[in-house]
Amino acid sequence: MTAVAVGSVDSRVVGRERKFLRRARYIGVPAAVATACVAMYLYVQSQELDSIESRIINARNIWTAAVEQIEIALWATALTLVVAVPLGIALTRPWARRVTPIIIAVANIGQGVPAIGLLFFIYIVLIRSGSTAAILGMAIYAVLPVLRGTMVGLQQVDRGVVKAARGMGMSKQSVLLRVEMPLAVPILLTGVRTALVLTVSTAVLAAFIGGGTFGELIISGQAQGRPLAVAVGSLGAAALAIMADWVGGIAEDLLRPKGL
Amino acid sequence: MTTSVEPMIRLDKLTKHYPGQEAPAVDGVDLAVPEGEIVILVGPSGCGKTTTLEMINRLIEPSSGRIFLEGEDVTHVNADQLRRRMGYVIQQIGLFPHETIAQNIATVPRMLGWDDKRVNNRVDELLHLVGLDPGRYRNRYPKEMSGGQRQRVGVARAMAADPPVMLMDEPFGATDPITRERLQNEFLRIQEDIRKTIVFVTHDIDEAIKMGDRIAILAEGSRIAQYDTPETILTSPASGFVEQFLGSGILLKRLNLSRVEDVHVAIGEWPTIGPETTAEQARQQLQQSGRTHLLLLDGQRRPDRWIAEIDLNPDRDMSQAGTRVQACVDSRATLNDALQEMLLNANGVAAVVDRDGAYAGTLDLETIIAEIREMRAKALDNGSGVVVGDDT
Amino acid sequence: MTVSSYLERRWDVVLGLTIEHVIAVGIAVGLATLIGILLAIGTYRNDRAVAVLIVVINTLFTVPALAYFGALIVIVGLGWTAAITVLAIYALLPIVRNTLTGLREVDPAIVRAARGMGMSKLQILTRVELPLAYPVILSGLRVATVLIVGIAAIGSYVAGPGLGELIFSGLSSLGSVRAVPEIIIGTVAIVLVALVLDGLLAVLGRLSTPRGLR
Repeated sequence: MTAVAVGSVDSRVVGRERKFLRRARYIGVPAAVATACVAMYLYVQSQELDSIESRIINARNIWTAAVEQIEIALWATALTLVVAVPLGIALTRPWARRVTPIIIAVANIGQGVPAIGLLFFIYIVLIRSGSTAAILGMAIYAVLPVLRGTMVGLQQVDRGVVKAARGMGMSKQSVLLRVEMPLAVPILLTGVRTALVLTVSTAVLAAFIGGGTFGELIISGQAQGRPLAVAVGSLGAAALAIMADWVGGIAEDLLRPKGL
Repeated sequence: MTTSVEPMIRLDKLTKHYPGQEAPAVDGVDLAVPEGEIVILVGPSGCGKTTTLEMINRLIEPSSGRIFLEGEDVTHVNADQLRRRMGYVIQQIGLFPHETIAQNIATVPRMLGWDDKRVNNRVDELLHLVGLDPGRYRNRYPKEMSGGQRQRVGVARAMAADPPVMLMDEPFGATDPITRERLQNEFLRIQEDIRKTIVFVTHDIDEAIKMGDRIAILAEGSRIAQYDTPETILTSPASGFVEQFLGSGILLKRLNLSRVEDVHVAIGEWPTIGPETTAEQARQQLQQSGRTHLLLLDGQRRPDRWIAEIDLNPDRDMSQAGTRVQACVDSRATLNDALQEMLLNANGVAAVVDRDGAYAGTLDLETIIAEIREMRAKALDNGSGVVVGDDT
Repeated sequence: MTVSSYLERRWDVVLGLTIEHVIAVGIAVGLATLIGILLAIGTYRNDRAVAVLIVVINTLFTVPALAYFGALIVIVGLGWTAAITVLAIYALLPIVRNTLTGLREVDPAIVRAARGMGMSKLQILTRVELPLAYPVILSGLRVATVLIVGIAAIGSYVAGPGLGELIFSGLSSLGSVRAVPEIIIGTVAIVLVALVLDGLLAVLGRLSTPRGLR
């Protein structure tokens, strides 16, 4: 449900086995997901589906669910980035020193808000469209990791590097764009990856407010007493979230500036 | 705008008063830095020397007072533009880890809008200047270099746009003693050619004496306790504070003042032979000279071995005879360095080499002792109350 | 109906659900702590085992709660068991990771000194490594607790315990006057539970950490 992305932290913990860890992530994870999906597919093929089951479990339905879930997640992540990255930059500027702790505290408390409460509240009070409400809710939910990634990323930039850059006559903006941001990228990306996984994963809850996704298969399967549909929905939801994390992990490795 | 009397940098009652602090960090500093000289700001930690330096390029904005660069009041000009006219080297170096060495060095030229060709040529030129092979290093990342190499790149980056002024804040402070000495010597060699105006902060008085054309000894609040040439400061400290700061071993410190090239380097006092000389010729030369050893030079005229008469055996390869030359000093080395080398050598002589490592003469203990006597005599003439030499 | 009038009428229900919520979270964190520390201790000396453990636990962590609940309905049916199992799975990641970090980042010089004094591997673990890792483990526990207090809300979908019931009840009574108060009260109560538990664990941490490690 909530994701704390691994990346840098774990490669430190794993130490000498970084390569092995990377291989396990790159190959092991998708292999396991593919195996589970194929097994499920073969199992479903071998079963006689009744009319209700075949109405829920069919290629078109599954495709729609996946697209809905991905769409919600991508929009939410994009919205989060647009808000959280500039906010994170602003909060690390010296002039924001006073408000920064307050906003961090609010964001931390916000982390404790249950996704489902936030989602239902937005749906009932603000937006009566399942998928739009889900996008807004997920975006709010994902702000904290991106905000934190941006801030920590910027704060850990070596002060000596910034001082040297200023001393050479780079303006504040160009220090930010050419030095601070590139150096913050690895940690920022970890935050973005967390946000992406978080939204893909939480997007399933949109099903409760008619937003579709694999959650839809789970809920209608459960409502109509069809465990097979529940299982298919669960596997679909899980596979999507795991693969989102997988893609995020690869992107993190590829986008890291050389030399770091 | 530059006139012969106007110093390159002039600080006029420069003050930094941080809000909430009672005493100013820098209290009304007046300082003139003449063109082409290295001026050292040295003082105990917390005396405000770094703050003073950082006010010159306005990384720290002064509370009051004025800064003149080449006669122009730059206290209120655009700070970014100002900084592009001054090279800046700090102890942490601060290379951009995500950029290659070439990109790092090109930072200021790019900001100044140089074209690619000019930038590339300049990068190669600078890498050569600091003794790094451009072909090998330009595309490396900082983490792929040693600390000493990174420091060289830091210096090259600061010189990239050929600024008339360089500000250096403990530039060699984070390196080990051997690397530091090498970097210092290299930097002095470079400075001989480029003649920049340099303000250099250090807390190490030995570094100050070695590097400085002038030294400003700073007390708390960056108040200047004495501002003069190293010679004068060592021979006539202006106050008890300065004396205390100079510490013990003033005599040895003075040896840091004189360079090998400044004293009489004897040429021809010791017989030399080349790789082609036969043992018989060598023996004749040695006997004529009346010395105990002769010096074998290799094909590039670099000192190779000290050879005594008993080592001269016609059947033996000359390049294996005698003992290897341990002590070789650069002509820019200080007498202190030379003394140490000499003590390593059996016959009490240091071979002096030029820039390319070729033999330039010899230096012996007597020369150094004579130099010390001369210094003492000068100090006594100056009427300085400091007794030098007797305690060391 | 306003939030306050709802509370006035049904404070006993809210209180009951809050207590349930805390109990469920407590059981799940307890389980996860036990399993997580054992997993970490079993692997921490082997880089490869640590790598596998981390990939597996991270992947488990990525899976949406609803997917777990769906699977568990099929296996164990509705009720507390399903809810607590899922919560424990999520609590596992912060706990395992912090325990591993704590154990593996003990200064090697200290371990060498301990070995030099003739301590066995077990003694080193119990007398040196675990005590030194304790503050890190505890902070993992805190993260895990706050995390699953929020996730527990979804547990009500499988008839699990806790304040999620109010939120779901609010959604299902969409259009009625109590829908909004129920969702707000459920949500705010969960935030409060998270804050209080986080604070308590912080205090506990401060009191129980030896002075030398603070």
